[in-house]
Amino acid sequence: MKHLYNRLSFQQKKAYWAWLFLAVPILFFAAVRFYPTINAAMISFTDWNLLTEGKWVGLANYERMFTDKVFWKVFANTFLYLIVGLPVSLTLAFVVAYYLDQVRFMHGFIRSLYFIPYLTTAVAMAWVWRWGYQPAPMGVINQILSSIGMPQQPFLRSPNQALYAVLAPAIWAGLGFQVIIFMAGLRAIPETYYEAARIDGIGKLATLWEITLPLLRPTLVFIVVLTSIGLLRIFDQVYNMTVDGQGGPLNATRPLVLNIYNTAFKDFDMGYATAQTMVLFLVLLIITLIQLRLMRSK
Amino acid sequence: MATVTIRNLVKRYREAEVLHGINLDIADGEFVVLVGPSGCGKSTTLRMIAGLEDISGGEVLIGDRVVNQLEPKERNIAMVFQNYAIYPHMTIYKNISFGLRTARLPAAEKDRRIRAVAEQLELTPYLDRKPGQLSGGQRQRVAIGRAIIRDPAVFLFDEPLSNLDAQLRAQTRLEIKKLHQRLGSTIIFVTHDQVEAMTLADRIVIMRDGHIQQIGTPTEVYDHPANTFVARFIGSPSMNLLPGAVTADGGLALDGNGPIAHPAARGLAPGSRVLLGVRADDLRVQSHTGATDKAPGLQLSGRVSVVEPLGPDMLVYLDAGLDAGTQQVIAKADTRQTLRPGDEVTLTAAPETLHLFDEQSGKAVAV
Repeated sequence: MKHLYNRLSFQQKKAYWAWLFLAVPILFFAAVRFYPTINAAMISFTDWNLLTEGKWVGLANYERMFTDKVFWKVFANTFLYLIVGLPVSLTLAFVVAYYLDQVRFMHGFIRSLYFIPYLTTAVAMAWVWRWGYQPAPMGVINQILSSIGMPQQPFLRSPNQALYAVLAPAIWAGLGFQVIIFMAGLRAIPETYYEAARIDGIGKLATLWEITLPLLRPTLVFIVVLTSIGLLRIFDQVYNMTVDGQGGPLNATRPLVLNIYNTAFKDFDMGYATAQTMVLFLVLLIITLIQLRLMRSK
Repeated sequence: MATVTIRNLVKRYREAEVLHGINLDIADGEFVVLVGPSGCGKSTTLRMIAGLEDISGGEVLIGDRVVNQLEPKERNIAMVFQNYAIYPHMTIYKNISFGLRTARLPAAEKDRRIRAVAEQLELTPYLDRKPGQLSGGQRQRVAIGRAIIRDPAVFLFDEPLSNLDAQLRAQTRLEIKKLHQRLGSTIIFVTHDQVEAMTLADRIVIMRDGHIQQIGTPTEVYDHPANTFVARFIGSPSMNLLPGAVTADGGLALDGNGPIAHPAARGLAPGSRVLLGVRADDLRVQSHTGATDKAPGLQLSGRVSVVEPLGPDMLVYLDAGLDAGTQQVIAKADTRQTLRPGDEVTLTAAPETLHLFDEQSGKAVAV
């Protein structure tokens, strides 16, 4: 063995050691990621309910999804979280990062104020926000509204407002992370680009559109992909802010992940739950690939 | 085109003053180079002229207009940066056109000008490419293109050649000089490289620690350095500075060596400490046996320690004087001379090539 190793070239020896060390995470990944994923894909073709041995039902679970009104509602909700949450959170994070980058006074303190929610457990925050949404005088938000002479809002009780009320703390929680990443991206742009623009008399807005944002593209790709995945998998906030964690009222806030959770652990319909999981997996995969392609190509 | 006038210009960062009230008059169409070691305030001065740094005190005038409070774009200047500052996500065409963004010109006229500038700088084949596909020298030409397309009153160059390799630097230097001859515009150029300063400038401004040391044409600062700093900074290799004292009879005695006659020493009190400056080019190296003539000027004996051939000539490093090893002297010698480390030689220099400085203040003593 030793004889054989000694006959390898330097390049081959390097590869040998690299693969030796890589083998550990690869085996780990295969055991806790790939195997369960493949197993879940298999279960999605059965009617396993934890108690009885599942039997093969072919595509029945997937056919059921097509006619399931709740599934489509949940599917739409999930995308609404993404379509509303992504632009709002990115715009907020960018504006905060853009101006925070220019502030020296108490810079670190302000930055940590934005970052703390990211470190706090989603459950605790969700309950604080749930409390805040209560009618006055219990709920802080409604109290502020009425004190400035505006009508109180139902928030979590309204099928029209609940989704946005749940989305708000989710955006708030992720903001700190996005701000940090945006600032790192902004800092990486050489100062002379801006100085050259000043000398050429390029306006602030034009500088932002034509210099800052295009040069931030790699950062943007990173944040868009991560945020999208996060929003499509929203769960904690919905589970903790809606009555009995059902994603109500009238399924108005229920996202796909919560639906999967309920199907699996309330209805014990493992086959149907894994089928939905497969759909979510595919959606995440496709969206991520599209985003990577779109934002890298130009 | 315009003159640039700097009056008592001061720059302070909080408590620290980095520029201590400098004065400079730049004529219309003049090529002025600010040169000095890092931290001397040359880039700060340039950036204050550009409007990228606030002015803490004094005035900057472009033409006869005080521009202290004007935005960079209102000063009618163009600037070329060390790292080029051309935008990597835009084509060369777009990059050059950026200089014309705010100009009120019809699109066709802008296009015509962009193509003309590209033609001048031999960038036409690259107009549709991105900067990433260009070499360092080509990128620097794009930056220059963006500057000249605006037809500004003053060009500012901030160490534009520092990121180029030696060969390209010499070539781009030449292009900038040709550009100046063609456009005839006022140029202020910052560099830490004295060779760039000497080759490009109509006038050189030598700076150190926020003060101007000397202003003059390349010949003036080379032949008549105002002080020991300028003497060492300008010219390569650096000027030799040999310590000595004025003798009772108005001559000069170098430490560890015999007395020599020097006209300037007559004006100084006997015993005054001085530095005698002599350039490597002005020293003659003679092997000991041949050195019989007793010419006026400097005569110095020494031992060769290192020889550096440069091609046409060679640099000879010598341990000179009686206490050998205390004083290193550099001389230039013809490569036809055969010199080896350890050889005993005599160095001579004509009296008119010698410079005299006050040891205390470093200031030149007038001849």
